[in-house]
Amino acid sequence: MVISKKVEFSASHICRSPQLSDAENEHIYGAAANPLGHGHNYVVEVAIEGEPDPVTGMILDLKRLRELLEQRVLDVYDHRLLNREVAPFDRIVPTVENIAIDIWNRVAPCIGGRARLYSVRVHETGELSVEYRGEK
Amino acid sequence: MTVHLSRRYRFPASHRLYSPALSEEENRDVYGKCANPHGHGHDYEVEVTVSGKVDPLTGRSVDLNRLDALAEQQILGPFRHRNLNEEVPVFRSIVPTTENLSLEVDRRLRTAWQDAFGAAGPRLEKVRIWETDRNICEITGGPAGGADA
Repeated sequence: MVISKKVEFSASHICRSPQLSDAENEHIYGAAANPLGHGHNYVVEVAIEGEPDPVTGMILDLKRLRELLEQRVLDVYDHRLLNREVAPFDRIVPTVENIAIDIWNRVAPCIGGRARLYSVRVHETGELSVEYRGEK
Repeated sequence: MTVHLSRRYRFPASHRLYSPALSEEENRDVYGKCANPHGHGHDYEVEVTVSGKVDPLTGRSVDLNRLDALAEQQILGPFRHRNLNEEVPVFRSIVPTTENLSLEVDRRLRTAWQDAFGAAGPRLEKVRIWETDRNICEITGGPAGGADA
């Protein structure tokens, strides 16, 4: 059984690789390569897989999940310039793909008990989203 | 690291759900108001889901320019502001329900996929079409519905 929780954060980013030329960056990332950055209202859906506890009827304590997402994701990401303020985006480009993987890496080790992280879906805009389910 | 990336597109089009193989009454029974003789329209929303490895250099799993160009060339260009029954050849012989439209979109993308992305490129995983907020069709793994069809 899979249960999911949705949270939102707002952040700015610059999609630009120092290993690519200006022309290449603009070709790959389009307007998102603007060196002064731009922002999005990101929506993150975190899905947890497990069986309901026979006593509580819950896969995991949703209050605890909320706290976990606040501490591990929102406190880190909300109202930040990702390239400057959130590791590992000083080294890798903060595309929506890399954001989903980074959120997975922050959350997965902290899901305890009977449950495990099933997927992280990040919506950058209404038109673009990414889902990451970890490595098999 | 493999991720699933989804991109959404929109196109407005008109259609009429009516089968010449059925009687007037049967058409009315099966399709309701959608069988009205002059047709009607929707703002269709198409979501294309692609799986691919994240390039360590660019942080991208699929070339979005190429995906957008493919969607434009195969779907949005031919379908936008069209009467599907009259102007999209396949719907001269089959009814443009959301199901058949989804299968056609999936077929068009799949046919052109390898030329656009190459054999080792990202994979087309899923096509979803919203006809309205309440009417959604999903095609996974090709028209036969099998994992590698």
